[in-house]
Amino acid sequence: MTEPRALAGVRVLDFTWVRAGPWATRWLGAFGAEIIKIEWPQNLDILRGNRVTIPPGVEPGPNAPGQFADTNANKRGITLNIRTPRGLELVKRLVALSDIVIENFSSRVMQNWGLGYEVMRELRPDIIYVSMAGFGHTGRHHSYTTMGPSAQAISGMTFLSGLPGKPPAGWGWSYLDDTGGMFGAMCTLTALRHRNATGQGQHVDLSQMTAGITLTGPAFLDRTVNGRKARREGYPPGNRSVWPGAPLVNNYRGPSVAPHNAYRTRGGGYNDWCVIACFSDQEWRSLVELMGRPAWAVDTTFDSVLGRIEHQEELDEGIERWTQTLEKYALTQTCQAAGVRAMPVQSPEDRVEHDPQLRARGLYRELEHPVLGRRKVQGPPFKLSRSPAAIHRPAPLIGQHTREVLQELLDLSLEEIREGYADGTLWPPSMPVYPYLQEALQ
Amino acid sequence: MTSDPHAGASSLLPGPLAGLRVLELANEKGQYCGKLMGDLGADVIKIEPPGGERTRIVGPFLNDLPHPERSLSFWHYNTSKRGITLNLRSVEGPHLFQRLVATADILLESYSPGYLPSLGLGYEELSRLNTRLIMCSLTPFGQTGPWRDYQTSDLLHLAAGGQMGCCGYDPEDVPEAPPIAPGGGNAWHMGGHFAYMSILAALCYRDVAGEGQYIDASIHEACALTTESNVPIYVYTGQGVLRHTGRAASPEKTEPTQYPTQDGGWVNITRSGFNLTPARLRKLAEWMDSYGLAEDLLEEQYQSTAAIQANTGHIAEVLHKFFTHIPLEEAWHGGQQQGLPWGGVRSMDEIIDDLHLRDRRFFVEVEHPELGRRFIYPGAPAIYSGSPWRISRRAPLIGEHNQEILCGELGLHQQELALLAEAGVI
Repeated sequence: MTEPRALAGVRVLDFTWVRAGPWATRWLGAFGAEIIKIEWPQNLDILRGNRVTIPPGVEPGPNAPGQFADTNANKRGITLNIRTPRGLELVKRLVALSDIVIENFSSRVMQNWGLGYEVMRELRPDIIYVSMAGFGHTGRHHSYTTMGPSAQAISGMTFLSGLPGKPPAGWGWSYLDDTGGMFGAMCTLTALRHRNATGQGQHVDLSQMTAGITLTGPAFLDRTVNGRKARREGYPPGNRSVWPGAPLVNNYRGPSVAPHNAYRTRGGGYNDWCVIACFSDQEWRSLVELMGRPAWAVDTTFDSVLGRIEHQEELDEGIERWTQTLEKYALTQTCQAAGVRAMPVQSPEDRVEHDPQLRARGLYRELEHPVLGRRKVQGPPFKLSRSPAAIHRPAPLIGQHTREVLQELLDLSLEEIREGYADGTLWPPSMPVYPYLQEALQ
Repeated sequence: MTSDPHAGASSLLPGPLAGLRVLELANEKGQYCGKLMGDLGADVIKIEPPGGERTRIVGPFLNDLPHPERSLSFWHYNTSKRGITLNLRSVEGPHLFQRLVATADILLESYSPGYLPSLGLGYEELSRLNTRLIMCSLTPFGQTGPWRDYQTSDLLHLAAGGQMGCCGYDPEDVPEAPPIAPGGGNAWHMGGHFAYMSILAALCYRDVAGEGQYIDASIHEACALTTESNVPIYVYTGQGVLRHTGRAASPEKTEPTQYPTQDGGWVNITRSGFNLTPARLRKLAEWMDSYGLAEDLLEEQYQSTAAIQANTGHIAEVLHKFFTHIPLEEAWHGGQQQGLPWGGVRSMDEIIDDLHLRDRRFFVEVEHPELGRRFIYPGAPAIYSGSPWRISRRAPLIGEHNQEILCGELGLHQQELALLAEAGVI
């Protein structure tokens, strides 16, 4: 790291696992904070067991899943059994040397380990403690546990996604793990900035499920202010802003307009789709011109937004007859050049290989990983002119930096570290010690 | 020590961003990021064109009466801000704006790339007035690249960002279903979260280095980064994903996780067989048995992990039948009480009565003095023990703080304000 980093000199003790927490600390690392991920092989991070992202030809194991590698870039990793007195003592010494402690366990885990906020504050008076429990640390259901899909359901986010009269389509990925991670990073940065200004640390008690509700603001206010029932005809309206024939109410997708939908494109493949939205009569007229003024489209029925909304079935069928003649990127270019809002539906492969914008901006860059080789990683979506963010270090192999970190920060001798491996403090005696760890102990 | 984090003096403390001034020149693309900063204590001044930002005419509206002061969408995304109007295309507008920039820590803008520089208000010019200024341009595609000037919307971003590519239906539920854009407004949320992070990081940098900087943030990139394992699945295995009903897209077909309940709702069990250890299955079956609906799940044969894995299909069938007898709320709370991470697919109708959220004081009343009414808004995502989140005021009315800021802080005379109004500057 030769360029200045925004969080240089900030140390984060990272107890997070699975997705939301590790996604948070990955970004703190991208800003240059020193992230020390604490793991224990007998209670393995679920992402280390993610078989779906192990590349063909790579031997399965905790260092093989690509999803773990991408999520945990920018960190060093140590193994340590916090349930032993010696392990707890070492962790406490690390807390005293850290600026931030962050975790996404259920609500009482840290406290039960003897590492509640009050204890940590004694070790380090200005410590920033960010907890990321599903329901938070207070409230009658604090002990409830969530994964992305359940948090999305409970927060109302699943309900507002799908076609009317069908089961909820929900979210095809753990949006609230990604976004829970964003909130975790935002809370940490906010508390850090507050500490810079005041010298005071604090406990930030984040609730993943609650954060989800704050992303449904207009729907929330429509209920509390207008008393509008959420369970109603024509809602949720799929990709449309209003379902034809249903009451003409706003469904929280921005202005109520038509066309506003997904359409098949040439090729007919699984992801050969585009979306088109016309936000004004002028945009609609431009689309009609692009389509070559077909007879159906110049009918006065479609001149006004009300007519287009009411006759959306016919409108969408007509548009799709045209979009099916064009390849999705060509269609995007044609529409955008004429001032018509259109975009391709992009698969992961599309984004990595075919999206000209992401390529030009360099979102995916290669990084060398000791087990997985040179692979593209997902980079930062912002360019800071003086202190750029970067994905600069591959994810740690399990226990890779135990010796390095404990020697560097706690001044442990190699002998003490070997003892820790033998007595179950730094590695479970019942498990084989990987060759890279044996090497580190020489 | 009290268990109530809101009790006592903490509610009187300033928010974590107190003392920072933010200028916001933002439409739907940036207003959420401004709200995040305002609710955490920053002094956010929203600068709108005379007559108001067009986000004021996005519904739903109070009592369905369309009016620029009655948009609930605008209300939600503009809490804790003060508002002034300023025509940046007038002669005086840029000058007044520059005087405000000299007092600001952060400028957040979501105009088309090149627009502010064309008015002489690019980062280069503004940073000369204020070297500590952090300027964040949060735009659809960033300041460079072939798509830089493309028009977008929330729907368009969710298509290009990959969200729609992984959301939809199993063919058994909806044959020939299109990819589905989930929720509304979430492209702006994704962009806003990343922009907020970058601004806070720049503040921390400024605390050490003493200088501001320019941030070029892209909503398209933020969306492209927000599909969990989808990109790694491709990068590491070359596979694509299939869309399923109410659960994660994956390279192969997976078991359903969303079941209908007795009262027409749905419950999501997260992942089929997830976390079902023999002990958990026993506990779950005992609970189901209290309704007389456990079927054979209490039998000894299921008390091994291998047997559970071998019978996930059967267990799912029994659960499916069970849920058709249990109402939504009872189903997911019951699962949680057995230690299972289940979630009821709740709508706002259920959420507004949530007692846990009430315990956390999530439902906050916000006063609208011009209406003589108070309304319930969504509250804090996180509870800060030493510097509380709060909505300090409802969204500003059009030009509500023109006098307070332009006269009170910049020192304009009342008569000058009147002239500027007549000239269409404010």
